[in-house]
Order: sequence, then structure tokens, then C-alpha cells
Amino acid sequence: MKIVVTVKLVPDTNAEKRIDAATKRLVRTGVETVLNPFDEYAIEAALQLKEKLGAETTVTVLTMAPETGKEVVRKALAMGADDAVIVSDAGLEGSDVWVTGNVLAAALKKQGFDLVIVGGLAEDGNTGGVSGALAEHLGVPGLTNAAKIEVADGKLRVERETDSGHQTVSAPLPAVLMVTMGVGEPRYASLKGIMGAKKKPITIVPVAELALDHPVGTDGAKTELLEIGKPAERGKGQVVTAEDGPSGAKIIFDFLKERKLV
Amino acid sequence: MQHVITFVEHKNGQTRKVSYELATEARAIADALGGKAHAVVVGPGAQALAETLKTYPLDVIHVNEDGDVDKYLLDPAIDYLEAVAKSVGPAVILIPNTLQGRDIAGRIAARLGAGLTSDATGLKVEGGKVETVSPKLGGSSITTCAFKPGDYGVVTIRPNSFTALAGGSGASIETVEKPAGKTYVMLIESESEEVSGEMGLEEAPVVVAGGRGLGGPEPFTTLLKPLADALGGTVGASRAAADAGWVPYSLQIGQTGKTISPNLYIAVGISGAIQHKVGMRTSGTIVAINKDGTVPIADFADLLVVGDLFQIVPELTKQLQAVHA
Repeated sequence: MKIVVTVKLVPDTNAEKRIDAATKRLVRTGVETVLNPFDEYAIEAALQLKEKLGAETTVTVLTMAPETGKEVVRKALAMGADDAVIVSDAGLEGSDVWVTGNVLAAALKKQGFDLVIVGGLAEDGNTGGVSGALAEHLGVPGLTNAAKIEVADGKLRVERETDSGHQTVSAPLPAVLMVTMGVGEPRYASLKGIMGAKKKPITIVPVAELALDHPVGTDGAKTELLEIGKPAERGKGQVVTAEDGPSGAKIIFDFLKERKLV
Repeated sequence: MQHVITFVEHKNGQTRKVSYELATEARAIADALGGKAHAVVVGPGAQALAETLKTYPLDVIHVNEDGDVDKYLLDPAIDYLEAVAKSVGPAVILIPNTLQGRDIAGRIAARLGAGLTSDATGLKVEGGKVETVSPKLGGSSITTCAFKPGDYGVVTIRPNSFTALAGGSGASIETVEKPAGKTYVMLIESESEEVSGEMGLEEAPVVVAGGRGLGGPEPFTTLLKPLADALGGTVGASRAAADAGWVPYSLQIGQTGKTISPNLYIAVGISGAIQHKVGMRTSGTIVAINKDGTVPIADFADLLVVGDLFQIVPELTKQLQAVHA
């Protein structure tokens, strides 16, 4: 079985982020780029399936990123993925979720797949729209929020997290699957994995090879970014030490009352 | 873009506050665009819910009681929404930013070739263009995006961003025909409701969240739940508490969990590291209870009470219950 995991490279969450006022884009220089934390769960899910299904199953990592993203993608290879494809092109800058969906879908068609696994929300843009876009563009079932995954007889059966509980949903392959953190903590790369990753193939695909029907980058985007601003910072509030339970409770109660919250 | 369509999430006709928030906001945006405000309600219970929605300022409520909506994952609902969108013409589609709402939004945007923006906390119309305002990068920046006029646009809206105001001139309820020639394969085999009757974390007006300081799973039910109930809210947790297995991940607030904006957030035994802060920094009022006065949350809570949470929380619950008694 051919599994493809789509990943996004994002600026490190713990680093301070800066937006260039002129280009309205994130300043990526000087900020470490990492795998979107949610996507590590997608890789973990793919590797668990590979372990269950045996050696004929391959795991490919697919991303849209600058060529410098190679080093970040290598982390996914060190975790155990077999190879990686990076769609890389200067023209992709400023792409929105519509363009990203088109580009990744075209790359997936070119590549071939039985199962596409996508992480949950992205750490930066946070639209969570890519898995749905892929299901639409590829014309295959799109299952979301999967915590447990089974594959048997060309069929996918997943346990999904819903707003109020769980659902078991089945669908035929090929399919697109978005996973949650419920699949289990992403594994650490072993030393052997890290060494081995250096020899695993990373293919760079220019956009021209994908023969897209739509323009990419800012020209193809359906949304226009007008402004990026800073939110009003929350000021430091009161810090009060409570003598005991009742006095602590009274401090909070009076505060809530003053703010008309009770 | 002329019209506004809001997609109404529900289960057997039971919906949540955010549906009424969006129905109210749909009117405001439709008026600014000179268009009509539509709602789409499909699946068993749709008709009854449409009657309730009629008390909100909508023009047309499109309904179908089709059982396939509950039997198959996402696809039937998206087909109905597509059918309405195509019959209405270019519109901005408002969808709640919930688990299901995000799924629907991603699919319908791709299908209509529409722009998609997400987790918006504000909407406005400038020069005939709909603009959406969303906190990004963990709330450290606020982005304003515009849809191209004359196109479809899809936006997911963070619950609690708008006020629901009843008062309508009586929307018409129309049946939307079942889209023809569709076959569905994502079969919902079984379903379990674990937090049945509970408010969704993302739309609760008050959230009482617990962290490492609680020391185990029991205080979530014995301490936090009664406090949340007394305030008309629900219980959440930090990642530390979810990782420890004290609560399910569905209650986790923060970077890898949910992002919420309740009117009141009470952090109990939570230090408030950046990964947690990004999930709740846009809350109206933040109150923290912690045994340590130097924790990071001291820098952004409106009130930090330094003391023993095991003594303060039950006392506070008692005082609040006395008000309502």
C-alpha cells in the first residue's frame, strides 16, 4: 500500500514571530522552521500502519516548501518514512489554502497513492482546510479527526473524535484521512534512523511539472491579505495572596461581581 | 458577492448558541451587501429547528429532513450546502469554527472554488467586499483578509464572537431538493455520545480549566465541575492534564488543543506557559488560582489569587451557589 503524508513546515511555536510590514508575510529568516506539530502525528499514524501492514507498504512525505525545507523533511525520514517529495517554486509564495489544495492534489495524482494522511490544524495559518480540499480535488472519501485506524481488504475503518464523543466510520480506499493526536505520541528518531535518513531520496518537483489549470501564489489565491496587526496585549492584572480558602474565594467572588460576571 | 448563507450544525434538531450568533450576523452582513440572509438546515430534526430559527432575522431557511445526513459522514450535508449556494448565487458562507464546521468549510470552499478564511472573530463589509478578521499565529497577530467580490467566500467563525439577537420579520422555510445522482460511501457504523448534554468547550461562555496543580483526575469532577456548573460553564484542561490521562484530549486548551474565547476563563493550577496561553488569550476575563505567584499566567491574568486551590475552589462554588439559591 502506498501511503503519502502531507506536511507543512512552520515557524517554531516557541520562537517570537515577526511579520514583514511590506510583504505582509511571516519573516522566516532567523526563526527556526519545524514540522507542524500536528503533522508529526500524521507521520506517526502512517508508520504505525506500515508496521502493521508489512514491508510492501511505503510512506512518502509530501510538502510544498522552499528547497531549504529539505533539512526539516529529513526529520520525517529519520522517524521512518521512506522518501520525500518537495514541491518547490518561488512562484508559490503567497499561496492560500485554495492554491495549496490544488498544488498538493496535482502532486498526489502524479505520485499515486492509496491513502493520504494529513495532520489536524496547521500551527500558523490554522485553516484546517487542506484535507477537505484534497478529498474534493482527488474525488475520494475524506475522513477527518481519526484517532484509531484500521485498514483491511481495501477498506478503511476509523474511530473519529466528534464534538460530543466518538464515531466509527468506514470507507473504501483510496482515501484522504485527517488524524488527531489520539493516534499516539510521535516517535523520536533513533540514531540509526537519523543516519539512514541521510541516504533516503528527497525529490524536488517544480510547479511546471504539475501541469496545473490554475495560477499559483498570490495570483491564484482566492483571498486577499489586507493587513496583519498586533492584538492589544493583555496587561498584567492584580496578584493577590489568599490567607485561606474562604478569603481567596471572596476575592474572586467580589472581582467577578465587580465585572458583572455573576 | 451579494448574499450570505449560514450553515446550521445540529443533531436531531438540537443546536448550539453559535447557530443563533451566525443567524444574527448573517443579517448584518447581508444588509451591508444589499443581499439576502439564508440558512441551511439538513438532516432529521431540521424542520423543527427551522421553526426556532425563524425567530432570528433570516430571509430564507432551506431545509430537508434527509436521513442520509446522519447516516453518512459529511458528504450529504456538503451536497445540500452546494445546492443552496448554487441556487442563491455568489455568497459568503458562514460556518461555525467547530470540528464539524471546519470539515464542511474546507470541502465546500474547494468545491465552489471559493476563498477560505478561518477562525474569524470579526466580519465587516468595506467597499462591497467582505473582510474577515482572525487571530493567527496563536493570537500573536490579527490578520484581515478580503474575499474577491462577485465570488463565493467561505469563513469559519469562532463561537462567542457575535451576540445572538432574536427578532425577525419571519423567514420563509423552503425545502431544498435532495441532490440527484449521488452515492455515499463514508458510512457511520456506530456512534457514542460521551459528553451528551454538555456544552461544547469552544462555545461555552465560561470555562473552568485545570492543570498539573490538580494532581489527578478526581478534582476535575469533584472540584471543577461543580464550579463550572455554578457559573453556567464547562470544564477544560491544560495539556499536562490531558497528557497525564486525567481528562480526554477533547478538553485540552492550547497550541495542540482548542482555541477558545469565553467571557470568563478560570485557570486552576495552570502555570500558563505560551503553549497554553495561545489557546485562551482572547478570553474576556481571565482569573487564575495558583499556589505560586510567579507563574507565567501572572503576566496576563486579570486576577491571580495565590493560595490553595483545594480550599478556594469549593468555597467559591459555595458562594456562587448561594447567589443562585
